[in-house]
Amino acid sequence: MFPESPLLAIDGLVKRFGGFRALDGLSFYLREGEILGVVGPNGSGKTTCINVISGLHAPDGGSVTFAGRAIGGLKSHQLVRLGINRTFQVPRPFMSLTVRENVAVAEAYGGKPQERVDIGALLASLELAPLAGRRAEELNSAQQKMLDLARALATSPRLVLIDELAAGLNPAELERVAARLKEIARSGVALLVVEHLMGFIQEITDRVIVLNAGKEIFEGVMDDAIRDKRVVEVFLGAEDEG
Amino acid sequence: MPRLLRHALFILVPLIAALAIAPAVYGNHLLLFNLIVFMTLAQGINIVYGFTGYLPFGYVGFFGAGAYGFSLAVMHLHASPFAALALGALAALLLGLGLTPLFRLSGAYFAIASLAAALAVLQIVSNPALEHITNGPYGVSLSGVFDPSLAYAVALAILAGTVLLVIWLRNARFGLALQAIREDAISAGMAGINVVRGRVIAWLLAALIAGLTGGVYAWYISVFYPETVFSGEVTVFAIVFALFGGTATILGPILGVAILYGIYNAIGISTPQYFQLVYGLLIMGLVLFLPNGLVSLLRRRGVDVP
Amino acid sequence: MLIYTLLAGLLFGLYFSLMGLGLNLMFGVMRIVNLAHGDFLMLGAFLAFWLFNLFALNPIPGVAVAFALFLLAGLPLYYLLVPRLLAARDPEMLSFILFFGFSQVIEAVATIAFGTSERSIPGGSMARAAAAVASLLDLAYRPGPIAFLGQSFPVAWLAAGIVSALAVLLIYVYLYRTRLGYLTRAVMASREEAISTGIDVHRVSAIAFGIGIALAAVAGVFVPFMLGSITPAMGVDVTITSFAVIVIGSLGNPLGTVLGGILYGVSYMFMQSYYSSWANLLPYLLLIAVLLVRPSGLLGRQVRRA
Repeated sequence: MFPESPLLAIDGLVKRFGGFRALDGLSFYLREGEILGVVGPNGSGKTTCINVISGLHAPDGGSVTFAGRAIGGLKSHQLVRLGINRTFQVPRPFMSLTVRENVAVAEAYGGKPQERVDIGALLASLELAPLAGRRAEELNSAQQKMLDLARALATSPRLVLIDELAAGLNPAELERVAARLKEIARSGVALLVVEHLMGFIQEITDRVIVLNAGKEIFEGVMDDAIRDKRVVEVFLGAEDEG
Repeated sequence: MPRLLRHALFILVPLIAALAIAPAVYGNHLLLFNLIVFMTLAQGINIVYGFTGYLPFGYVGFFGAGAYGFSLAVMHLHASPFAALALGALAALLLGLGLTPLFRLSGAYFAIASLAAALAVLQIVSNPALEHITNGPYGVSLSGVFDPSLAYAVALAILAGTVLLVIWLRNARFGLALQAIREDAISAGMAGINVVRGRVIAWLLAALIAGLTGGVYAWYISVFYPETVFSGEVTVFAIVFALFGGTATILGPILGVAILYGIYNAIGISTPQYFQLVYGLLIMGLVLFLPNGLVSLLRRRGVDVP
Repeated sequence: MLIYTLLAGLLFGLYFSLMGLGLNLMFGVMRIVNLAHGDFLMLGAFLAFWLFNLFALNPIPGVAVAFALFLLAGLPLYYLLVPRLLAARDPEMLSFILFFGFSQVIEAVATIAFGTSERSIPGGSMARAAAAVASLLDLAYRPGPIAFLGQSFPVAWLAAGIVSALAVLLIYVYLYRTRLGYLTRAVMASREEAISTGIDVHRVSAIAFGIGIALAAVAGVFVPFMLGSITPAMGVDVTITSFAVIVIGSLGNPLGTVLGGILYGVSYMFMQSYYSSWANLLPYLLLIAVLLVRPSGLLGRQVRRA
């Protein structure tokens, strides 16, 4: 079922919180330079999946393989040095540090010595250059999300897990972010994108998986997903509740 | 000129020079010595609280461990003051290592647990059952090694080393990493920072500083009771001084000690309850109206405080 | 001896539960650490002392007076201190320092007002109250120690145990059987969600704050019978003991306090009976041990930092 040596392979992943199975045998893979969309109703396990891959939670079962190496249970900073990074749904920059310091500390500790990142250029590419000397707490939420992304990119990652980057952006900003993400993927970085905005997902992803109750219920292109009976049921059901 | 060198030249050198000359022009040497002790301890608090966000409410435990390490080495091993100082520092470091599991706790839990640890050490040291080792509640007397002017010089050297360490933290990437941990430990992990190691290093540095200071304090005053060197006031003063000036800066704790210790001596110790009242009100006002210290007043005016 | 120790431990355990109850309620609702808790308890003790000496009011009705007065005093105090604190970036840590300052102020004012001499209330007052209660209930009772399971206890211990148990019961009824208690539990579960559903969080918190202080004062009434003499400086030890109790039970869960109190009381009595010279070490070691093994307390949820 998996292609030859994917960058990331998740197999039968289980994560429990008390009696609740947030992830219940989840399996999927991701190739280098690919953008994979992950969609599903609230509570379907999207963010938990990112938290497990990025080392915030240790998995309770199943395996996570990154570049051929089992990484389940490693600490965040170890995963970062292997080439995995992420953004947060509610952005978590270092609030009292400046934008530049936020990125510089990640470059210094999470970056690869042989592969220095030009922080000025990185900030410019995410439209943060004019804010470089500001404290992160002075930024608005959308700018803080970009700062999360800048911090992730400063560590020269091979895989970035993106948790709802697009929420709260206006259409012009959305378009620029989409273009930027595609550019990042073209440079060989794999992106796992969790997003509620279906248009955004449709524009940037090569492939999507749909989660429900910690399990994958669909895998394929977005156009097929919206015609899939089970996917439609899950989303309509979720909307009834909400 | 690099910032580190500039800070050393314009903060460290004048400070140490002033305190080195002071005994020649000012008669109250004990006050000057205590000033040095509190500047060092306030910087120690600065390293733990200012840079990593953990408030060690039992910081005095390291000070006391250093003082008793020094004293026991002198009394039982007949060690020279410098060897005894090293053993005092070692005692504080070992206590610090023993307490590293406390870092699993968050904010208030950590503060309470570290306070309990310091009080536990006090209870052990002052217990009459251990009189043959620690002299129990009756305190120690080290008249054999009494040498206040040499002890003063050594205390000054410890302060110099401590301030230099803070200057380095303020300018080096390790200091930035510690601040990142303070701001958000999860994000710090995503910046590739080994959060546990960073915290432990800062903690042990602070323990070492307090242990050395406690040792040199024991040497200088040479006669003291367990309650003297494990007094909760030591922690509180160091915290209040550091907070009043402003943490995560080089100058904040120095200014805090200089100003508040000055007030302390102006109020006088003859009526401790009025002093306690003024101090309590000062602490409350500080938290309610100036939670980021004096330096935040300057920062608001756009001054970059080192 | 064993049965005596167990029963006495149980009575003291109930009393220790009362001691920690208010502190825990406050932490649970506001996430603030009231380091002045022991000082409110001390003020309650002085209130009982003066009520007895000036108005010959027995400590048992004194309980009601203490509760009412401190509840009323707590409400304005809340609005003076807490809203400003909760708006800060790290309220938990700042509350630690703020209430430390407050405890210094209370201790200083109490020292200025009452002096440092040790006060007590004669134990016979309790026996008289017990006799009055007994005659109301038509029970045969002669003033003097009470015998139970072949052991005899001071009547004050029994009174403290009963009042404590009643207080715990009333807090349970308040939290689980009244509308305000329901709202209080909602705030404890999640302050943010409580705000977003339109609960007047400040009103709920102010009442919890008042109750917290009032419970401390009620515990204070029994100080002369349970802890020894009343002095303005007694607050710190009481605060630490209260913390040990609620950490063992679980911070933020008021009813977990009872388990913590009883465990603490029984082990305290065992230490007193069998290892009295090390008994003072107990609260600290127990506190650290529980924090390290199960930092959320015996009944608590996750509190560790990630």
